[in-house]
Amino acid sequence: MRVDDLPGELILWILILSEVLVFMAGVSAMVINGALDPQSFAAAQAQLDGRMAALNTVVLVTSGLFAARAERAAATGNRRAARIALVLAAAGGLGFLTLKGVEYARDLHAGLGIDSHPFFTFYYLLTGFHAAHVIAGVAVLALVAIRARPESVQAGAMFWHMVDLVWVLILPPVYLIWGTGWTG
Amino acid sequence: MDRLTRTWALLIGLTLATTALAAWDGRLAVPGLMLLAWAKARGILAGFLHLRNAPGWLAAFTLPLALWLAAIAALMAIR
Repeated sequence: MRVDDLPGELILWILILSEVLVFMAGVSAMVINGALDPQSFAAAQAQLDGRMAALNTVVLVTSGLFAARAERAAATGNRRAARIALVLAAAGGLGFLTLKGVEYARDLHAGLGIDSHPFFTFYYLLTGFHAAHVIAGVAVLALVAIRARPESVQAGAMFWHMVDLVWVLILPPVYLIWGTGWTG
Repeated sequence: MDRLTRTWALLIGLTLATTALAAWDGRLAVPGLMLLAWAKARGILAGFLHLRNAPGWLAAFTLPLALWLAAIAALMAIR
Protein backbone atom coordinates (compact mmCIF):
# COMPACT_ATOMS: atom_id res chain seq x y z
CA MET A 1 0.00 0.00 0.00
CA ARG A 2 1.78 3.10 -1.27
CA VAL A 3 0.59 6.70 -1.56
CA ASP A 4 1.47 6.52 -5.26
CA ASP A 5 -1.17 3.82 -5.69
CA LEU A 6 -3.97 6.29 -4.98
CA PRO A 7 -5.76 7.41 -8.15
CA GLY A 8 -5.75 11.17 -8.77
CA GLU A 9 -4.07 13.92 -6.78
CA LEU A 10 -3.08 13.24 -3.17
CA ILE A 11 -4.48 16.62 -2.06
CA LEU A 12 -7.93 15.51 -3.20
CA TRP A 13 -7.72 12.41 -1.04
CA ILE A 14 -6.73 14.60 1.90
CA LEU A 15 -9.78 16.76 1.13
CA ILE A 16 -12.06 13.71 0.86
CA LEU A 17 -10.77 12.25 4.11
CA SER A 18 -11.08 15.52 6.03
CA GLU A 19 -14.60 16.19 4.73
CA VAL A 20 -15.77 12.68 5.60
CA LEU A 21 -14.26 13.04 9.09
CA VAL A 22 -16.07 16.36 9.64
CA PHE A 23 -19.42 14.80 8.72
CA MET A 24 -18.64 11.71 10.84
CA ALA A 25 -18.03 14.01 13.82
CA GLY A 26 -21.35 15.79 13.23
CA VAL A 27 -23.27 12.53 12.87
CA SER A 28 -21.57 11.13 15.98
CA ALA A 29 -22.67 14.18 17.99
CA MET A 30 -26.22 13.73 16.68
CA VAL A 31 -26.33 10.02 17.57
CA ILE A 32 -24.97 10.60 21.08
CA ASN A 33 -27.54 13.37 21.66
CA GLY A 34 -30.30 11.18 20.27
CA ALA A 35 -29.30 8.19 22.39
CA LEU A 36 -30.00 10.32 25.47
CA ASP A 37 -33.52 11.11 24.25
CA PRO A 38 -34.50 8.45 21.67
CA GLN A 39 -38.31 8.78 21.86
CA SER A 40 -38.16 12.49 21.21
CA PHE A 41 -35.69 12.02 18.32
CA ALA A 42 -37.94 9.31 16.84
CA ALA A 43 -40.96 11.61 17.04
CA ALA A 44 -38.99 14.41 15.37
CA GLN A 45 -37.59 12.18 12.63
CA ALA A 46 -41.08 10.81 11.88
CA GLN A 47 -42.02 14.26 10.60
CA LEU A 48 -39.47 14.03 7.76
CA ASP A 49 -40.33 12.55 4.37
CA GLY A 50 -37.86 9.71 3.85
CA ARG A 51 -39.13 9.18 0.28
CA MET A 52 -37.61 12.52 -0.74
CA ALA A 53 -34.26 11.43 0.70
CA ALA A 54 -34.44 8.10 -1.15
CA LEU A 55 -35.26 9.87 -4.40
CA ASN A 56 -32.37 12.25 -3.84
CA THR A 57 -30.04 9.28 -3.31
CA VAL A 58 -31.07 7.91 -6.72
CA VAL A 59 -30.52 11.36 -8.28
CA LEU A 60 -27.09 11.79 -6.68
CA VAL A 61 -25.88 8.26 -7.46
CA THR A 62 -26.98 8.64 -11.09
CA SER A 63 -25.22 11.98 -11.23
CA GLY A 64 -22.12 10.21 -9.90
CA LEU A 65 -22.31 7.76 -12.80
CA PHE A 66 -22.23 10.69 -15.26
CA ALA A 67 -19.25 12.21 -13.43
CA ALA A 68 -17.40 8.89 -13.64
CA ARG A 69 -18.22 8.64 -17.35
CA ALA A 70 -16.94 12.19 -17.86
CA GLU A 71 -13.67 11.22 -16.20
CA ARG A 72 -13.29 8.19 -18.47
CA ALA A 73 -14.18 10.16 -21.61
CA ALA A 74 -11.68 12.91 -20.76
CA ALA A 75 -8.97 10.33 -20.09
CA THR A 76 -9.46 8.92 -23.60
CA GLY A 77 -9.36 12.40 -25.16
CA ASN A 78 -13.07 12.59 -25.94
CA ARG A 79 -13.70 16.11 -24.65
CA ARG A 80 -17.16 16.44 -26.19
CA ALA A 81 -18.42 13.32 -24.42
CA ALA A 82 -16.75 14.48 -21.21
CA ARG A 83 -18.50 17.86 -21.42
CA ILE A 84 -21.90 16.27 -22.05
CA ALA A 85 -21.43 13.90 -19.11
CA LEU A 86 -20.29 16.77 -16.85
CA VAL A 87 -23.36 18.81 -17.78
CA LEU A 88 -25.59 15.81 -16.99
CA ALA A 89 -23.79 15.30 -13.66
CA ALA A 90 -24.23 18.98 -12.78
CA ALA A 91 -27.90 18.77 -13.79
CA GLY A 92 -28.25 15.91 -11.32
CA GLY A 93 -26.77 18.16 -8.66
CA LEU A 94 -29.29 20.88 -9.49
CA GLY A 95 -32.06 18.27 -9.34
CA PHE A 96 -30.83 17.22 -5.91
CA LEU A 97 -30.86 20.85 -4.72
CA THR A 98 -34.35 21.39 -6.11
CA LEU A 99 -35.71 18.37 -4.25
CA LYS A 100 -33.88 19.45 -1.10
CA GLY A 101 -35.36 22.93 -1.45
CA VAL A 102 -38.87 21.47 -1.76
CA GLU A 103 -38.19 19.34 1.31
CA TYR A 104 -36.92 22.33 3.33
CA ALA A 105 -39.92 24.41 2.25
CA ARG A 106 -42.31 21.67 3.41
CA ASP A 107 -40.45 21.31 6.71
CA LEU A 108 -40.48 25.03 7.39
CA HIS A 109 -44.13 25.31 6.35
CA ALA A 110 -44.90 22.60 8.94
CA GLY A 111 -43.15 24.69 11.58
CA LEU A 112 -40.03 22.51 11.71
CA GLY A 113 -37.29 25.12 12.09
CA ILE A 114 -33.66 24.74 13.11
CA ASP A 115 -34.54 25.51 16.74
CA SER A 116 -37.71 23.40 16.90
CA HIS A 117 -35.89 20.43 18.43
CA PRO A 118 -32.25 19.31 18.79
CA PHE A 119 -32.93 16.71 16.09
CA PHE A 120 -33.80 19.47 13.62
CA THR A 121 -30.73 21.47 14.58
CA PHE A 122 -28.58 18.49 13.51
CA TYR A 123 -30.86 17.85 10.51
CA TYR A 124 -30.46 21.35 9.11
CA LEU A 125 -26.75 21.61 9.94
CA LEU A 126 -25.79 18.25 8.41
CA THR A 127 -28.01 18.41 5.32
CA GLY A 128 -27.41 22.14 4.87
CA PHE A 129 -23.62 21.72 5.02
CA HIS A 130 -23.93 18.85 2.57
CA ALA A 131 -26.12 20.96 0.26
CA ALA A 132 -23.41 23.64 0.35
CA HIS A 133 -20.98 20.99 -0.92
CA VAL A 134 -23.44 20.08 -3.67
CA ILE A 135 -23.57 23.74 -4.76
CA ALA A 136 -19.77 23.87 -4.76
CA GLY A 137 -19.66 20.57 -6.66
CA VAL A 138 -22.02 21.83 -9.38
CA ALA A 139 -19.80 24.89 -9.79
CA VAL A 140 -16.67 22.71 -9.97
CA LEU A 141 -18.25 20.41 -12.58
CA ALA A 142 -19.26 23.44 -14.67
CA LEU A 143 -15.76 24.92 -14.42
CA VAL A 144 -13.91 21.77 -15.41
CA ALA A 145 -16.33 21.28 -18.33
CA ILE A 146 -15.02 24.45 -19.99
CA ARG A 147 -11.67 22.94 -21.02
CA ALA A 148 -12.41 19.31 -20.13
CA ARG A 149 -8.76 18.44 -19.51
CA PRO A 150 -8.26 14.93 -18.09
CA GLU A 151 -6.62 16.00 -14.81
CA SER A 152 -9.18 18.67 -14.00
CA VAL A 153 -12.14 16.48 -14.97
CA GLN A 154 -10.77 13.74 -12.73
CA ALA A 155 -10.43 16.23 -9.86
CA GLY A 156 -13.98 17.49 -10.39
CA ALA A 157 -15.35 13.94 -10.53
CA MET A 158 -13.50 13.01 -7.32
CA PHE A 159 -15.02 16.01 -5.53
CA TRP A 160 -18.45 14.96 -6.79
CA HIS A 161 -18.02 11.37 -5.60
CA MET A 162 -17.02 12.73 -2.18
CA VAL A 163 -20.38 14.58 -2.07
CA ASP A 164 -22.08 11.29 -2.98
CA LEU A 165 -20.11 9.37 -0.34
CA VAL A 166 -21.01 11.82 2.43
CA TRP A 167 -24.70 11.65 1.50
CA VAL A 168 -24.95 7.85 1.82
CA LEU A 169 -23.24 8.06 5.23
CA ILE A 170 -25.44 10.79 6.72
CA LEU A 171 -28.69 9.37 5.28
CA PRO A 172 -29.44 6.66 7.92
CA PRO A 173 -28.81 8.76 11.05
CA VAL A 174 -30.71 11.76 9.69
CA TYR A 175 -33.65 10.03 8.01
CA LEU A 176 -33.96 6.41 9.05
CA ILE A 177 -32.68 4.91 12.27
CA TRP A 178 -34.70 6.63 14.99
CA GLY A 179 -38.07 5.27 13.93
CA THR A 180 -37.09 1.60 13.68
CA GLY A 181 -38.00 -1.18 16.06
CA TRP A 182 -35.17 -0.27 18.41
CA THR A 183 -36.66 3.06 19.29
CA GLY A 184 -38.38 3.23 22.60
CA MET B 1 -22.82 -3.66 -18.94
CA ASP B 2 -19.52 -1.91 -18.16
CA ARG B 3 -17.98 -1.62 -14.70
CA LEU B 4 -19.25 1.93 -14.04
CA THR B 5 -22.81 0.95 -14.92
CA ARG B 6 -22.52 -2.14 -12.69
CA THR B 7 -21.42 0.11 -9.82
CA TRP B 8 -24.39 2.41 -10.45
CA ALA B 9 -26.81 -0.55 -10.61
CA LEU B 10 -25.38 -1.88 -7.33
CA LEU B 11 -25.87 1.50 -5.66
CA ILE B 12 -29.45 1.79 -6.93
CA GLY B 13 -30.18 -1.74 -5.68
CA LEU B 14 -28.72 -0.92 -2.26
CA THR B 15 -30.81 2.28 -2.15
CA LEU B 16 -33.99 0.31 -2.88
CA ALA B 17 -33.02 -2.21 -0.19
CA THR B 18 -32.48 0.68 2.24
CA THR B 19 -35.95 2.04 1.46
CA ALA B 20 -37.51 -1.38 2.02
CA LEU B 21 -35.63 -2.02 5.27
CA ALA B 22 -36.42 1.44 6.66
CA ALA B 23 -40.10 0.55 6.63
CA TRP B 24 -39.44 -2.61 8.61
CA ASP B 25 -40.02 -2.34 12.35
CA GLY B 26 -37.64 -5.06 13.46
CA ARG B 27 -34.65 -5.35 15.77
CA LEU B 28 -32.24 -5.93 12.91
CA ALA B 29 -33.30 -2.79 11.05
CA VAL B 30 -30.57 -0.49 12.40
CA PRO B 31 -27.64 -2.88 11.85
CA GLY B 32 -29.09 -3.69 8.43
CA LEU B 33 -29.35 -0.02 7.49
CA MET B 34 -25.77 0.55 8.66
CA LEU B 35 -24.57 -2.43 6.64
CA LEU B 36 -26.33 -1.07 3.56
CA ALA B 37 -24.79 2.39 4.14
CA TRP B 38 -21.36 0.77 4.39
CA ALA B 39 -21.97 -1.23 1.19
CA LYS B 40 -22.97 1.96 -0.66
CA ALA B 41 -19.89 3.78 0.63
CA ARG B 42 -17.71 0.85 -0.43
CA GLY B 43 -19.33 0.85 -3.87
CA ILE B 44 -18.57 4.55 -4.37
CA LEU B 45 -14.99 4.22 -3.10
CA ALA B 46 -14.24 1.08 -5.10
CA GLY B 47 -16.17 1.77 -8.31
CA PHE B 48 -16.36 5.54 -8.76
CA LEU B 49 -13.22 6.61 -6.88
CA HIS B 50 -11.27 3.64 -8.29
CA LEU B 51 -9.86 2.37 -4.97
CA ARG B 52 -10.55 -1.12 -6.30
CA ASN B 53 -7.30 -0.67 -8.23
CA ALA B 54 -5.28 0.70 -5.28
CA PRO B 55 -4.02 -2.22 -3.19
CA GLY B 56 -4.78 -1.80 0.51
CA TRP B 57 -6.39 1.63 0.22
CA LEU B 58 -9.95 0.37 -0.17
CA ALA B 59 -9.69 -1.48 3.15
CA ALA B 60 -7.95 1.53 4.73
CA PHE B 61 -11.08 3.57 4.01
CA THR B 62 -13.82 0.99 4.46
CA LEU B 63 -12.60 -0.63 7.70
CA PRO B 64 -12.78 2.57 9.80
CA LEU B 65 -16.17 3.31 8.23
CA ALA B 66 -17.37 -0.17 9.19
CA LEU B 67 -16.21 0.32 12.79
CA TRP B 68 -17.89 3.73 13.01
CA LEU B 69 -21.19 2.48 11.58
CA ALA B 70 -21.04 -0.56 13.89
CA ALA B 71 -20.48 1.77 16.85
CA ILE B 72 -23.62 3.73 15.91
CA ALA B 73 -25.61 0.50 15.64
CA ALA B 74 -24.25 -0.63 19.03
CA LEU B 75 -25.16 2.70 20.63
CA MET B 76 -28.68 2.42 19.24
CA ALA B 77 -28.92 -1.09 20.71
CA ILE B 78 -27.89 -0.23 24.26
CA ARG B 79 -29.74 3.06 24.73
